[in-house]
Amino acid sequence: MSHDLYREQLLDHYHNPDNYGALENPDIDIEVDNPTCGDQIRLTARLDVEGKIAEVMFEGQGCVVSMAASSMFTGEAIGKTPEEIASMGLADIQEMMGGVKLSMGRVKCALLSLNAMKQGLQDAGKM
Amino acid sequence: MPLDVPAIRAQFPIFRRQINRNRLVFLDSAASSQKPQPVIDAMVQIWSNSYANVHRGLYALAEEATEAYEGARVKVANFINAADPAEIINVRNATEGINLLVYTWGDQNVHAGDRIVVTELEHHANLVPWQQLAKRKGADLAYIPVTDEGLLDMEVLPQLLEDGRTKVVACSVMSNVLGTVPPVTKIAEMAHAAGAIVVMDAAQAVPHRSIDVQTLGADFLVFSGHKMCGPGVGVLWGRRDLLEVMPPFLFGGDMILTVKRQESKWNELPYKFEAGTPPIAEVVGLGAAVDFLTEIGMDAIHEHEQEIVAYALERLSEMPALRILGPGPTLRGGLVSFWMDDVHPHDIAAILNEDGVCVRAGHHCAQPLHDRFCIPASARASFYIYNDKGDVDALVAALQKVVHLLGRR
Repeated sequence: MSHDLYREQLLDHYHNPDNYGALENPDIDIEVDNPTCGDQIRLTARLDVEGKIAEVMFEGQGCVVSMAASSMFTGEAIGKTPEEIASMGLADIQEMMGGVKLSMGRVKCALLSLNAMKQGLQDAGKM
Repeated sequence: MPLDVPAIRAQFPIFRRQINRNRLVFLDSAASSQKPQPVIDAMVQIWSNSYANVHRGLYALAEEATEAYEGARVKVANFINAADPAEIINVRNATEGINLLVYTWGDQNVHAGDRIVVTELEHHANLVPWQQLAKRKGADLAYIPVTDEGLLDMEVLPQLLEDGRTKVVACSVMSNVLGTVPPVTKIAEMAHAAGAIVVMDAAQAVPHRSIDVQTLGADFLVFSGHKMCGPGVGVLWGRRDLLEVMPPFLFGGDMILTVKRQESKWNELPYKFEAGTPPIAEVVGLGAAVDFLTEIGMDAIHEHEQEIVAYALERLSEMPALRILGPGPTLRGGLVSFWMDDVHPHDIAAILNEDGVCVRAGHHCAQPLHDRFCIPASARASFYIYNDKGDVDALVAALQKVVHLLGRR
């Protein structure tokens, strides 16, 4: 399959996601879904003493794009401040995913974990 | 008589397109159908040669446009065997048709303590407007449930009807997700005996088989032109005696007879419900779609789809990773929704697109139905006059690629 989106790297993350599960006593605990296509995730995160993201886990069900992006995001988010998270957008996520071109229908899927983190930080009063 | 699919396909210009150098295998007519050249030509003809505003014009062009517009209404009336073209209201789509009903008939006839009955099968178009009416009026919204096999649980309906509180039963003539064909005439019989009217969503039925409103049992029925090879218009059919006593929906020009400073008198049917300048060429296009389908023959179309869907169910059952939703081939219309244990419908649709196969993924505007089956989404393949067994084979081949790529390792 020559398609960009389903290349080995993304499929790896889809089948064997990084940091899959939930943290105990997290600082951030948020569930979001994408009702358009049925992706849903729960994101938990811990902040360090400086308020930076120290640990992230996710669990959920969804398409290759949402799951792979979430898996990659759990690593990408480490060491970032809430402000840095707030300023992240689609371009950053596409770069994180190896420069993949996302069609209109896939953007929401790719952004699911980032949006979850933003929402979670907001809910916890960190943003 | 079997359909000559290649000859039919040749009349649809869009099938000249390729997707990633694959031929277009369009399996999403349940969402919206492709348009044949005669329909396109009919609209262009109006715009090029006979366009003017309708009903009020006093010059030749206006008379031509009016004749074409009203001529289309007659075609549509005959297509569903309505008693009178005045019972055909042109609307934007089936959804608008139901909203029209809810805001007029619903507002007038549903009160606090009344009941509205819908089914778990309903598309949001025939659910949300009733749901909101029930909220506004303090009425009860009750559901006829669906069994695990995807059929309506008809035991529940008598229980819902027996206290006489039910004012309206709203049901689908064919489910856009499960393909289920509920026993709507039986439902109508029971509803009428209990003093309720019946509103039928025929969006997935009128394009695919012969519908006769004289025998169907519906008091009101909606369908969408764009799902039957026509452009973006729809139709609300209603029994004349009911339409006569309903207040208008939208107000303005054309739906009035006289307007004084403080009051107005409404126009007669159907114009009472057609405010403002209508989409003239589009309605004419719908008339052309009726001609196009009538020539092929609605019974032939229905037979064709039954054959294709039976073949599809057979081939899809060969794939162990696939779960098919809904009833067996003899109890369903021409569509199949399915899901896979380890693969998200969104990925199914995306990978199929690579091979030019167009299916829909999501909840198909039927979230309560998906909740009932405990799945967030499904993929759906729907068949029409331009699909054949080769399309089913292409679908299956592409699905095998999906399993290979994303199946459990």
